[in-house]
Amino acid sequence: MNEDHLSAFEQEEYILGEQTPEMARHLGNCAACRAAVSRMEDRLAAFRSAAVDWSEANASTRSWHMPSSTRFLPFTVMRWAVAGVLPVILMVLALLAFHAPAPRPASSQASISDDALLEQVDDQVSVSVPSSMESLTHLVSTEDDRARLGSRQSESGSKALVESN
Amino acid sequence: MEALEQFIHAGQLSPVRDRMIAELEDISTLCATYRSRIYRYVLLSLRDPDLAETVTQDCFLRAHKARSEFRGDCSISTWLTRIATNLVRDAVRSRKFQFWKKANATAVDAGDIAGRLRAPGVSPERTMVLREELKAVWDSVAALPDKQRSVFILRFVEEMEIAEIASAMHLHVGTVKSHLHRGLASVRKAMEQKK
Repeated sequence: MNEDHLSAFEQEEYILGEQTPEMARHLGNCAACRAAVSRMEDRLAAFRSAAVDWSEANASTRSWHMPSSTRFLPFTVMRWAVAGVLPVILMVLALLAFHAPAPRPASSQASISDDALLEQVDDQVSVSVPSSMESLTHLVSTEDDRARLGSRQSESGSKALVESN
Repeated sequence: MEALEQFIHAGQLSPVRDRMIAELEDISTLCATYRSRIYRYVLLSLRDPDLAETVTQDCFLRAHKARSEFRGDCSISTWLTRIATNLVRDAVRSRKFQFWKKANATAVDAGDIAGRLRAPGVSPERTMVLREELKAVWDSVAALPDKQRSVFILRFVEEMEIAEIASAMHLHVGTVKSHLHRGLASVRKAMEQKK
């Protein structure tokens, strides 16, 4: 400690709460040192007050939300949800498998129409040539065909003669 | 802090720790109790309200996630400050923050802060002088290196004990004192220039 006044370092020590009895005694007697320390303390108090005020003004404009509700809670909830739902699903599947409905007896009306349909299908299948291709089977003429054709031509010739007369 | 140390010496740490862990379990109460304090510290350290909000949320999220690791060797407030300090350090180191810090160096107007000074019963001339001094203090604190500024804020805004600051910032008590002396010297110098 300086004989006359506290050094800057000693004043800082005092402000930081590291004062010695000598410092306290000197400050009790020296108005200049007391004023210097007091001035510094007042400015620091004003700084604190302004900082708190500014921070509170800023915090009030923020939309705070709980971090838990947005980030890690869903993982836990999902795990519990899966653990709870899975046995229920398995139980339902097991019940469905054991109590599967027996095949229903067909009604007589339905069986008649089914028989008719089957018969039609059978007829169609058993025909050697489909109806649309039937004409193609007569491309190669036989003697009967030629005779049938000759008689048709003579009939048509006589008809034409009658018409021209 | 002293009470906690007494408990430790008396071998009664476990009930205290259990009570603290119970407090950490309820994140909504935890946020309601400590959020304004942590936000203030982070905001004053970063001076970016949006980033400070994100870091504060992250701080509580991490604290809640790591609650089982809480040993109870310090108060919850100190523990949260420790987490916040690490997050602030990471944010300051990030390249994005460095870019915006340079691009938006005067984002927080010290004049606006000084305008918040309330000095009832003081003449307008005197109020103006006080505001100028406050602006000088604010600017000098802003100009401190990151670690020094954090220490300064914890001591003179959050009013934490030096040992508590050392615990929160993983520093020796002597280092904390050294940072505080340098911070006060900067403030003193700024005030003398305003005389």
